[in-house]
Amino acid sequence: MNNLYEILKRLYIHLVFLILLGVSLSLYFNTTYYQKSQVSAVTKSITGFWHKQASKVSNLFQLQRSNVLLLLENVKLRNEIEGYRLKLQMLQDSLMRIDDTSGVFRYIPARVIDNSINSRHNYITLDVGSNDGAYKGMGVICKNNVVGIVSATTKHFASVISLLNTDVRVSAMHKKSGSFGALSWDGMNYRRVVLDEIPLHVNVAVGDSIVTSGFSTIFPKDIPVGRVVDFYIKDGSFLQITVELFADFKTLTYVYLVDSKAKNEIDSLQTMK
Amino acid sequence: MNRGIIKYLGLTVVLLLLQFLVLNNINFMGYVNPYIYILAILLLPYRITRWMLLIIGFTLGFAVDYFSNTLGLHTTASLVLAYFRPVILNRWSFKSVQDIRGVPDVSNTSMEWFIVYALIAVLVHHFTLFILEVFTFKHFWLTLVRIILSTAVSTFFIVIIELLLAPNKMTK
Repeated sequence: MNNLYEILKRLYIHLVFLILLGVSLSLYFNTTYYQKSQVSAVTKSITGFWHKQASKVSNLFQLQRSNVLLLLENVKLRNEIEGYRLKLQMLQDSLMRIDDTSGVFRYIPARVIDNSINSRHNYITLDVGSNDGAYKGMGVICKNNVVGIVSATTKHFASVISLLNTDVRVSAMHKKSGSFGALSWDGMNYRRVVLDEIPLHVNVAVGDSIVTSGFSTIFPKDIPVGRVVDFYIKDGSFLQITVELFADFKTLTYVYLVDSKAKNEIDSLQTMK
Repeated sequence: MNRGIIKYLGLTVVLLLLQFLVLNNINFMGYVNPYIYILAILLLPYRITRWMLLIIGFTLGFAVDYFSNTLGLHTTASLVLAYFRPVILNRWSFKSVQDIRGVPDVSNTSMEWFIVYALIAVLVHHFTLFILEVFTFKHFWLTLVRIILSTAVSTFFIVIIELLLAPNKMTK
């Protein structure tokens, strides 16, 4: 008995270490990334203020570039509007009544106030929150790319799991053929992601466009993701495609949150069985 | 004694604020994120009990985790560092002129000793941190490069801060 006490006395500090290590490791492995960002959503309100001030300064330096890009986007959108106006005219001519179910998606503009690309699990903070209509599970896109999925919101801020997070998978498809697969990041190069599970018979060429499939209700169909830069046969049964992203996540400034009106309806249909 | 504790708490808060508000927003070359908050573990007194050291390491890491979406990651890394700190101090104390009542900073050791001490401690911390974050040996060399670069940058910042803290106490 005395012996046991002696041993315990000698080893207790190591036991304390092992117990604390067990606690911290189980904290790390037993919480999902959603839960982790939930915890920090509380503190986001505090740090968000600072990040907002800091990003005001860094945005100043990008103004010139942003202006040019906006101008180009404006021109493109104007041209598109003209095209649609023409189509609308044609449709109105041929339709007796105008259906009211159009416009399944609504967009909320937001500004990036905190962003990282150097971790394996990157997060983005936006300056819109539940007050502006943001909610958990919304898709986030920018002008020419999928950006991520909202993981938590406070009144004025939202935390987004970036596409550059090794745990995020987005359904995407090869535009030319329409065959779809899962898009994910391997954590290596922040400009490149990997599209998996494309069948072998699909005719893929370097330079082909990859877009969202629209199967998950999070993102609309045909949001651009990137272009094919490389592909090879994986395990002899599927193609693995390396996709170069259109957007540079390092310079992300303005994004749009996707509010899907059909989401609840489709989700409830799928859970109904 | 009380003044020492208040000074230490103040330093810890300043280090954490510096970490969250400034350093977490810096990406050197896309790979390197310096972590300076472990200076708060390095500067604890020589004679602190080991279990106290462990609890402070755990709490400090948890505070960092809480603010940066990484529940458990920094907790583990700084706990491991707190566990190994007495080992490091025992092994590398022979070159220093330690005043056993004080804290291991540059004021009662030498500049060279503190750099080596900080470097080894940062390496222990970063090794745990990055291996745990990746949790695979698939891109081992890339991870190793990240560890080495980050260790160099973190050590640089820690030594700079330590020099700023004790400019007139320096013995050289």
